[in-house]
Amino acid sequence: MNAVIDQVTNESAAPAAEAHDQRRRVTIEPITRLEGHGRIEIFLNGDGDVEHAYLQIPELRGFEVFSLGRPAEDMPQITSRICGVCPTAHHMAATKALDDLYKVEPTPTARKIRELVYNAFILEDHALHVYVLGGPDFIVGPQAPAAERNLVGVIGKVGVEVGKSVIAMRRRVRELITYFGGKVIHPVMGLPGGVAKGLAPADLPRFQELAKDALDFAMFTNQVFHDLVLKNADYVKLITSDTYTHRTCYMGLVDPQNRVNFYDGQIRVVDPTGKEYASFPASRYRDFIAERTEPWSYMKFCYLRPLGWNGFSDGPQTSVYAVAPLARLNVADGMATPLAQQAYEEYFNALGGKPVHHTLANHWARVVEMIQAAETMVALTADPGLTGSDIRVLPTKKPSIGVGVVEAPRGTLFHHYETDERGLVTKANLIVATQNNAARIAMSVEKAAKGLISKHKVTEGLLNMVEMAFRAYDPCFGCATHSLPGHLPLRVRIRDSAGALVRELVQE
Amino acid sequence: MTAACASVLVLGLGNDLLGDDAVGLHVARDVRSRLAGAAGCAVRETMEMGLALLDEIVGCEHLILVDAIETGKAPPGHIHEFDADALAGRRIAAPHFVGVVETLALGRTLGLAMPRDVRIFAIEVKDALTLSVSLTPEVQQAVGVAAGRITTLALGLAGPGA
Repeated sequence: MNAVIDQVTNESAAPAAEAHDQRRRVTIEPITRLEGHGRIEIFLNGDGDVEHAYLQIPELRGFEVFSLGRPAEDMPQITSRICGVCPTAHHMAATKALDDLYKVEPTPTARKIRELVYNAFILEDHALHVYVLGGPDFIVGPQAPAAERNLVGVIGKVGVEVGKSVIAMRRRVRELITYFGGKVIHPVMGLPGGVAKGLAPADLPRFQELAKDALDFAMFTNQVFHDLVLKNADYVKLITSDTYTHRTCYMGLVDPQNRVNFYDGQIRVVDPTGKEYASFPASRYRDFIAERTEPWSYMKFCYLRPLGWNGFSDGPQTSVYAVAPLARLNVADGMATPLAQQAYEEYFNALGGKPVHHTLANHWARVVEMIQAAETMVALTADPGLTGSDIRVLPTKKPSIGVGVVEAPRGTLFHHYETDERGLVTKANLIVATQNNAARIAMSVEKAAKGLISKHKVTEGLLNMVEMAFRAYDPCFGCATHSLPGHLPLRVRIRDSAGALVRELVQE
Repeated sequence: MTAACASVLVLGLGNDLLGDDAVGLHVARDVRSRLAGAAGCAVRETMEMGLALLDEIVGCEHLILVDAIETGKAPPGHIHEFDADALAGRRIAAPHFVGVVETLALGRTLGLAMPRDVRIFAIEVKDALTLSVSLTPEVQQAVGVAAGRITTLALGLAGPGA
């Protein structure tokens, strides 16, 4: 059934794509790969209105070929090196896939160490997003002059001392990760059945102090978000505006009480009304997730397999789902820790109940999750089991298939390996958060563009509003590990129907 | 942040699994052997990016960055050279991480000891999206050339004591 639908859609899509090229086209294009490879294409129809728009994200090539024949134990190191943005998420998902591959459960102490490291990572990454990446949109403001919409502008708003705390918190979290695994990129921490290094009781106090400071920092961030964002009626209007709203399904990990969990649990899916649609273990991911290609993109778009592909549409019939903070809060019945639970209740009360369909609410949901990550760090560092010496169960079973899942900061991340009986990889597959979100991101970009371009007229601020539509998801653009040269201008290219450039806008 | 920095820091950036993306790391290694421990000069490599660079560069006086670049406007192996100041004032375009110019601006805003000048060597890549541990031949041939230029520059900046 799905195959037939795919075929019909693809047949009609090919001539449509060709026709697109004959029409006017607007391209928002970073001029180097170092900006993260993202490019936005906006196609106009003959009337000069948006017909279709999407975000193009180049994908890494050759992952499976590179992995074939390698010992499965190398995968936590290899995958953590692929992406400089979330190495810890890949390391952990790969480690959990190895647990599954060798059918071995980590010891209670090993699990606690992994959870401590993982929650610390979530806290750090979320903090970076709140202050650095999303900050220009919300803390400085979407209407602020371009020259202030940057990191220095954020510091100007929140103060130098807060800037210093962000940097210091980040450094201390990384020291924790380094303590257990060496380098952040290329960690040697996770092993099938456990971890490589335990926590010496003498070193516990400094991590307890870090956890306490992390919680203060998360609560402070919650306050900043309230003061600068939620007290501003314009921001709230923007968050809840139709432009940034899609009624899709959501996916995320939950614990046995259906509360948010970043490290482990069942994968829960809710429909657009918030009702549970499915709950399944990682090993069954292929029964629920299908990937689809489109002629105009080399990205794969995930959708819910049992529902079939129903197009880039939202509403009751949709098979499109989202992951990441907004989705995690929507799929859970609550948070796993008390202060986060309070923040969670406030979030849903303010935004009109569950589920919340506003993409920009991801920023707020991220703050709620920071609180849970910090409280979890406090709880784990107070647990005497954390400093145990039993940190590994040696695998004895023959390997064959292993699937691991975690909630990366940007959403559900799957690692799937198959090996021969010596443990050498014969098949490797990843589904990363941005792939899970790809269809909804495409819908967001298109909707934002449609609201801002009419009859050939491009509204001022188009670039920013369209960028905001996808920045809330914090999409992972392949694996640009670079910082150089940083920020060159974005370009908008408007072409006539013959493809000739008629206008070029450069946003400095 | 980390150990006190030498007067001149050569910092290679890149990902060692992504083919030509690793060129900055290769150049840094070559420079290290050429400098052979010259006084006042340090050479480091990192696969990290964004704010992680702060940890590396705090405290050094002169910074020389070497990285991969894809402008599509020069042949693979071409060595672009420019000052970070030339890029100052650009807005945030990266949705996901912080560029070097912004990292420097942030460090200065926070009162950290930032380098006085930053010279950037960026080598045009051919393929940096396919997993591989080797450089393409065009990019490989640029490694020695870039390393030679950087070594000369580093020794000059470090002064006669080097």
